Amino acid sequence: MAAPLQRWIGWLLHLYPRDYRRRYDAELSDGMAACAAIERAAGRSAIGIAVALATDALRASFHVRSDGRRRRRSFRMAGIRQGDSTMQSIVYDLREGLRLLRRAPLFSALIIGTLALAIGANTAIFSLVNGVLLRALPYQDPSRLVLVYEGFPSYGRPFGFSAPDFVGFRERARSYSGLAAFRSVEYELSGQDQPERVRTTRVSASLFDLLGVPLALGRNFTSEEDSGRQPVAILSDGLWRRKFGADAGVIGRTINLDRRAYTVVGVLPRGLTFPNHGPLLNNTPADLYVPLSFSDAELGAFASMYNNSVIGRLKPGVSPAQATSEARDIAKTLIADVYPPVFRENGLSLTMTMTPLADDVVGGVRRILYVLLAAVVVVLLIATADITGLMLTRAAVREREMAVRTALGAGRARLIRMMLLEAAVLAALGGLAGAGLGWWATRGVMSITSIELPRAAEVSFDSRVVFFAIGITLGSALLCGIVPAWESSRRQAGTALKESAGRSGTAGVRQRRIFGTLVTAQFAFAIVLLTSGGLLIRSVGRLLDTDPGVRRENVITFSTSLPATTYSKGSDVREFYQRLLTRVGRTPGVSAVGTATDLPVSVRERRAFTIETPNEAVAGLPHVIAHDWVNGQYFEALGIRVVSGRYLTEQDGTGAERIIVMNETMARRFWPGVNPVGRRMAWGGARTHGPWMRIVGVVADVKQAGLSVPAEPQTWTPWLQLPDAELAQNPTGIFRNLTTVLRTSVPPASVVTSLRQEVRAIDPLLPVSDVKTLNDVLSESTASERFNASLLGAFAGTALLLAAIGVAGVLAISVSRRTSEIGIRLALGARRGDVLAMVLRQGLALVLLGLAIGLPLSFFVSRLLSTLLFGVGPHDPIAFAGATLLLLAVALAACAAPALRASRIDPMAALRID
Amino acid sequence: VPKPPSPVSLPPHWFQILLALADQDRHGLGIMNDVLERTEGRLKLWPGMLYRNLSRLVEEGLVVEVDAPEDVETGGGRPRFYRITPLGKRSAAAEAERLAAFVDVARRKKLLKA
Repeated sequence: MAAPLQRWIGWLLHLYPRDYRRRYDAELSDGMAACAAIERAAGRSAIGIAVALATDALRASFHVRSDGRRRRRSFRMAGIRQGDSTMQSIVYDLREGLRLLRRAPLFSALIIGTLALAIGANTAIFSLVNGVLLRALPYQDPSRLVLVYEGFPSYGRPFGFSAPDFVGFRERARSYSGLAAFRSVEYELSGQDQPERVRTTRVSASLFDLLGVPLALGRNFTSEEDSGRQPVAILSDGLWRRKFGADAGVIGRTINLDRRAYTVVGVLPRGLTFPNHGPLLNNTPADLYVPLSFSDAELGAFASMYNNSVIGRLKPGVSPAQATSEARDIAKTLIADVYPPVFRENGLSLTMTMTPLADDVVGGVRRILYVLLAAVVVVLLIATADITGLMLTRAAVREREMAVRTALGAGRARLIRMMLLEAAVLAALGGLAGAGLGWWATRGVMSITSIELPRAAEVSFDSRVVFFAIGITLGSALLCGIVPAWESSRRQAGTALKESAGRSGTAGVRQRRIFGTLVTAQFAFAIVLLTSGGLLIRSVGRLLDTDPGVRRENVITFSTSLPATTYSKGSDVREFYQRLLTRVGRTPGVSAVGTATDLPVSVRERRAFTIETPNEAVAGLPHVIAHDWVNGQYFEALGIRVVSGRYLTEQDGTGAERIIVMNETMARRFWPGVNPVGRRMAWGGARTHGPWMRIVGVVADVKQAGLSVPAEPQTWTPWLQLPDAELAQNPTGIFRNLTTVLRTSVPPASVVTSLRQEVRAIDPLLPVSDVKTLNDVLSESTASERFNASLLGAFAGTALLLAAIGVAGVLAISVSRRTSEIGIRLALGARRGDVLAMVLRQGLALVLLGLAIGLPLSFFVSRLLSTLLFGVGPHDPIAFAGATLLLLAVALAACAAPALRASRIDPMAALRID
Repeated sequence: VPKPPSPVSLPPHWFQILLALADQDRHGLGIMNDVLERTEGRLKLWPGMLYRNLSRLVEEGLVVEVDAPEDVETGGGRPRFYRITPLGKRSAAAEAERLAAFVDVARRKKLLKA
């Protein structure tokens, strides 16, 4: 046999489907060879033979393929194939599910899209819950870590440790395998391109060992470095990558912090955040760590400067209760044994409390995150109700197909499984798209930097989030698939191939009942979300309406921090800020300028004080107040109203009488019924107080700790009256780190360039940071509340929309089923208005039933929200009425379309249909 | 005579294949040669369509595959053999009767010589 012929035959064999070829390979090639021999004997040309063989092979392979398709189709209709394993038949059903996608692309896209949105939102919120609440803190055995706070028995809020108290506590405490203190500060980092301010944490040398965190590079601080003020630093992974290009050779390099040379000794591992947002103080994630090494001034600060956080690891077997009672005893011992006797005589008493680290870090966001998760799960439930409705409608259309399958031998279980697998295919695609969407949304949310979510850096898509996504995908497949599957298989069991099975009386009633239940449930859930969202939105409205005590327009702020090396004397610091005020004040467009240690809504300092001739009635009040040191036209720049007396002026300098200004709350609380202007007060306890200060003015309340927190008593004193020694020593770091506030007569953004120029003219190296308008500062303080409200509001809106789609769909189906009935009614003289009202009634009855179930539920749920609300009660009538009205309006609009269509039915056409 | 439930008219190729198998089991090439001889070379079943039709005939139950007899050895190995089923015989017979009836008509109308 000629080789070309053999090759040709081999090639032609490839035209056949693989399994067919495998079966008939030998015979087909033998046959073709034999045919070719016969033809050649008959004198036919080689080309002619080749063409004839090819024609035969093409024809035959075409027929073989179409035979196969016909065969498969007939088996598929039955959903069975002789000798198939369960697995094979499941594969068959899955393939059938995919075919459904192609056959009804719009229907499928609608379902997949709805599921993708709902699953995406669920995945995104769950990844927050997972990263923030569920995953353990990234430290070794984090459940044993606690934060310890000090407090005054008469003062409600706990605060941090003073340096001597921490040292005394660490010497005495036996409940801990390790104790460390830390404190957030800021340094100017220079020597690497542009100088910038970096968030730094001063830490005890033992901190990273206590946390159980090994360094990625280099070594930990030593205890000598902790006590000896050695200039060494450890970098966070973020700063190491950002500023040092992840260079492993950074160890041993010198960096300048506040223009002093520090040696880099270590780099922390990736993904480690310390400290975290969340706790009361020292809660700014740091870029850089330096040894705590308390200064002599700090170590001598008894009963003041309570600003160090203390973290401890409980020894195995020591319960938090035991440690708490030990701490209580130590607090008493410290006052008795360590404090100078004058404090004891003054009646000073301390408390110490303890909270698990994890509670302190995430306790504040736990409730809102779970509320958001619950809300988004409810949105998914409402969406699955819509999808169930869609699939039920479709199942009715596919009734004949199901009948054929039944006739061909598919059992009921088989039909249920098949329809569930169809739902699973849709859900899987929706879930896949949703997970992608969720991943994208999570990253989007996390990049909104103004939201100071604790542990934000740890939010990621880990295996738990993936399992959650798979779980809710399967769950929604089951939820969407089970009712339609059960219903259509149930129908098949009875009515088989009867043409009008879908319209038989009982089936119609049954289906109406299912649709009704779905819609009622949707609206019941929707009203719960709407009232919850309404409450949060009302609460944010109240928050934004709150008078911050300042005029927020046309004010710009920036901060500067003077490094101790260049500005070593108090007079240097004084001179810099005086020149800054003068130069900036001369800038065109600036109408008033002042400086302060802290801005409104973020006043950090709290001080103890004594009144010169106290009223007996106020003796029992906690004498702790918020305080701010100000210079220049601070009050004028912020627009703080004077109530009585005067502002601070240029004349209130070093040599003049020491003076103080207070807010209305302070005046009302400590001088009830009296104008305090002209009286005197001093810092410290009754026997330990400093020089007296004359009260010269009372001003309107300004919020100190965020808009949602009521105004505390607060005072302001002239920064200029600080002694040079304190400015130079700067024990708390706040006197050389001032925020400048300017009121402008032009748009504030337009003066930023000239501001920077003025600062550069005084000190070319000094970075200007946090350039913000006062509006930004105030709105940042409500960022998380606004975010929560808009998220919950969006979920509620989505829920309402989905419920509206649900009721509109159900009515549309009902109207199309009842076309002939409505036609008869109209033919018999019913007015179109009656028909309209009839359909509307049908829809609204379901909605009202949903409300009747959902509203009581809302009253219960809103009580869980009460701690998240500001200025509104959990049963706020406006929120409830608004939510109900909105729901009714949307429901009415949704019902109106099918109702109008029903009223426009042409009776003659309708009667002809059936 | 029991009426076969098979199609009213058999496709011509099927009829020829069933005729070839009526007296003995044959393999594919055997069928082809038998048809070729009987029709004096006028009807040639090309292998592609031959095997496709055989597989359809098997599917319809007119023909079954059987093991090749011990002594047969062709080319590459032992080929598949086909045997006509009772249903196949009845179908072929019915087709033959149907054709015979047409032949009778043709004779009566003097198209053919008696």
